[in-house]
Amino acid sequence: MIKKSSKHPLAEYVERLLSGKTLLPEGSENLLEVVGILKSYGVVLDAYSKNLIYIAENQFLEFFPFFKYFNGQVSVNKLFSHWWHDRINFEYAEYCMRSMLWHGGGGLDKYLDSAEFRENAENVIAAKFRKNPFIKLVNQLFPEFLIEQLRVSAYYSGLGQFWRVMSDIFIDLSDQYDGGKITSILQVVEHIKNGLVAAASKPIVYKVKIDNKVYNILPESAELTFLVDTAIPYVEAIFFRGTPFQGTVSYNAQAGQISPDQGRFQYGALYADPLPIGGSGIPPTLLMQDMRHYLPDYLHHLYQSTRRGEDDLRVQICESFQKSMYCVTNAAIVGLMPHPQDTQDPKLRDENRAYLEKWMDRLIISRLHAVNSQDNSCNISLPRWS
Amino acid sequence: MISALILLPLIGAAIVSVFPITSSKVCRSIALTFTILAFVLSVVIALGFSPDEFSLQYSEFIPWINSLGFNYNLGVDGLSLPLLVLNCLLSAIAVYSSDQSIQRPRLYFSLVLLLSSAVTGAFVAQDLLLFFLFYELELIPLYLLIAIWGGQRRGYAATKFLIYTASSGILILASFLGLVWLSGSSSFALQELDTSSLSLGTQLILLAGILIGFGIKIPLVPFHTWLPDAHVEASTPISVLLAGVLLKLGTYGLLRFGTLLLPLAWQYIAPWLAIWAVVSVLFGASCAIAQKDMKKMVAYSSIAHMGYILLAAAAGTPLSILAAVMQMISHGLISALLFLLVGIIYKKAGSRDLSVIEGLLNPERGLPMIGSLVILGVMASAGIPGMVGFICEFTVFTSSFAVFPVQTLLSMIGTGLTAIYFLILANRALFGRLSNQVTSLPRVYWSDRIPALILAVLIVVFGIQPNWLSRWTEKTTTAIVRSPMVGVHAPSHNSSTTASIYQFKDNISIREIMVEKSLKE
Repeated sequence: MIKKSSKHPLAEYVERLLSGKTLLPEGSENLLEVVGILKSYGVVLDAYSKNLIYIAENQFLEFFPFFKYFNGQVSVNKLFSHWWHDRINFEYAEYCMRSMLWHGGGGLDKYLDSAEFRENAENVIAAKFRKNPFIKLVNQLFPEFLIEQLRVSAYYSGLGQFWRVMSDIFIDLSDQYDGGKITSILQVVEHIKNGLVAAASKPIVYKVKIDNKVYNILPESAELTFLVDTAIPYVEAIFFRGTPFQGTVSYNAQAGQISPDQGRFQYGALYADPLPIGGSGIPPTLLMQDMRHYLPDYLHHLYQSTRRGEDDLRVQICESFQKSMYCVTNAAIVGLMPHPQDTQDPKLRDENRAYLEKWMDRLIISRLHAVNSQDNSCNISLPRWS
Repeated sequence: MISALILLPLIGAAIVSVFPITSSKVCRSIALTFTILAFVLSVVIALGFSPDEFSLQYSEFIPWINSLGFNYNLGVDGLSLPLLVLNCLLSAIAVYSSDQSIQRPRLYFSLVLLLSSAVTGAFVAQDLLLFFLFYELELIPLYLLIAIWGGQRRGYAATKFLIYTASSGILILASFLGLVWLSGSSSFALQELDTSSLSLGTQLILLAGILIGFGIKIPLVPFHTWLPDAHVEASTPISVLLAGVLLKLGTYGLLRFGTLLLPLAWQYIAPWLAIWAVVSVLFGASCAIAQKDMKKMVAYSSIAHMGYILLAAAAGTPLSILAAVMQMISHGLISALLFLLVGIIYKKAGSRDLSVIEGLLNPERGLPMIGSLVILGVMASAGIPGMVGFICEFTVFTSSFAVFPVQTLLSMIGTGLTAIYFLILANRALFGRLSNQVTSLPRVYWSDRIPALILAVLIVVFGIQPNWLSRWTEKTTTAIVRSPMVGVHAPSHNSSTTASIYQFKDNISIREIMVEKSLKE
């Protein structure tokens, strides 16, 4: 029997996607927010990506990587800037990397548990510590310790490569918007989807150099690719699951506030409360602090025109960021749809609907409604004399 | 000089009301200029005041209606000086905090100035009728300020306020007339009144009038019901004045006319006054706990805190009278701060309801600095060390305990209750997630914060250095307690020699002095 329409609590969004529309409603302000914030996100991702790749390639198996955020350019000025906190918060990138590592998923996670990876890792360890009998001894005593370090390094590299692509997609989006080629939310989603599809089969490889000799950690032969092995695990870990510990609200595991099943975690970016006090998953702090330095002027003007001006800039950035993340999620959902979005075959359309309902099951308690109904007004009437 | 303090706001009121100024900003600027000038003058007076003398200073005397014994007789002593400065400060803050786009600005600001002038007059009047004149004069502007610029139930609140305070005035006037006529005095001058010839019964009747009269103004339970309504309906600047200085007229009246003019009756009923204080403290605090409206909670808190002043006044030792005066100033600063802050919250969030307002300390979208000041205010009110509330309440309890240990201990429960209701307020309004209904509060400007910051600084400064507060009053309060024994009924410019022959002991009470006196007789 063919279903005519969805009975899902988020049926409105299922129908919207089936009819070729987007999760985020069309509107000039939404478009401006999404493109503007993705531009600043692209700039920040570029920096994160470069640093993650630098750490993966140059700071691997370093037990005290004091200068890992300096990208190899240590100077007194940079040191003071770092201490003064006049810098990009690379810690945020590491939080995301650890979240991916923790939740796993995809080919990268599987490969890191394979015998081939273990062999590659042991070669790297042997080369790195060939003149260090103490570490060799430690490695004999705790054989998983150094290998686990390289797994972490592999995630540094994987996320760095993923963000490299995403950064380019977002910057390109902004350029096209500036050139008048992007005029709707649907075009934004299409642009991201096309970017993801274009890079889908991009190989994810990780090599390190020790004494001028190159060692493979994630070789091309592992056939790890951008979309399946990094993009989807990233979306799953960061957008959906997140972690209940990064915000400022304490979740009480004993009170059942944290699901014992990691797969049912719902603390990701799509669920995170933009207000600092309620932030779980992605806290609206580090990333928002970084993005505020690169906001385009038109977005500044928009924020300044709100009731509170830019006093709550980070919250406003977070709200815009969440809107943009629904566009990215939208692109991923549509990109992975089992059948063409505009199919007229009722059976295929029904399968698409069932597929979308599964996604929507996960978004029931997300902030999807909130980003669709956000306004900056105060709902309570003001007193007589104000 | 003292007259200038009364005249400055009056001149301001005349300018604002007479000249056809349409802009409320201009009206506010004129009013602010005159209140600031008055405040500066009050500070100059304070700096010129000699704290080592307990006699009247800056005395002014102009004969008025000699046949009635009614003259323009002003002066400042340690009892009135701190209240004078407080009134000038809070008047300036009230004008500054008034809405720049307020309707009928000429009437509003002239009434505020008139109110300030009348209160100043009441604090410096050294003539019973002159005091009464000023005391009644402040009712009119206050009534109108509530009735015209108040909230939705302003008519009810203003009328209730008027009925209560008019009754208060009638009782006070009757007692004043009784005091003068029955004592055979030819004048209403405080210095010339000698009530020693009055029998205890007569003194008790007269004191009852004064007690109920000023008890309504303070207000003491059960005469308090006008206050929460008046506060809730009054606009923020008026609440600041009401809690900050106008209630102090009641306690000032009790000290000035109750303890000083009728010492025998005062010492006779002092234990009952202490019990009355306990009832006020516990009733006010218990009611505050039950409130959902932040402003009403602060209003009931005022009732409780004014009870401490009565307790200290009842104890009647030099230290406790000093504590009463200090508590008046402390309460004036703290309650003014809290009403200001609640006003800002109401202005920005549109509600004072504790079931609606929450999470105001949110650093991005809440009111973090206002919330922090609320915490400071409630801590000061709950008597947390380091702030003026602590040292004043501590002095009240220390000095009263020697005389009324049970009543003092019961009153101390009030501080615990204060901590409870203000913790409820802080917990509900400030912590947790910012309420969904107020997720986007308008920004708070420095101009909104400055008055509250000034009060907060004073609260902390006097908490750390209470001597700066007590030094003005110490000699006067000691003289008030000693005066019954020496038959000097007011600290006047010629009484210093007489009083100084006694060695003061801080823990001696009016009761003990009177016992000593009756033994001698």
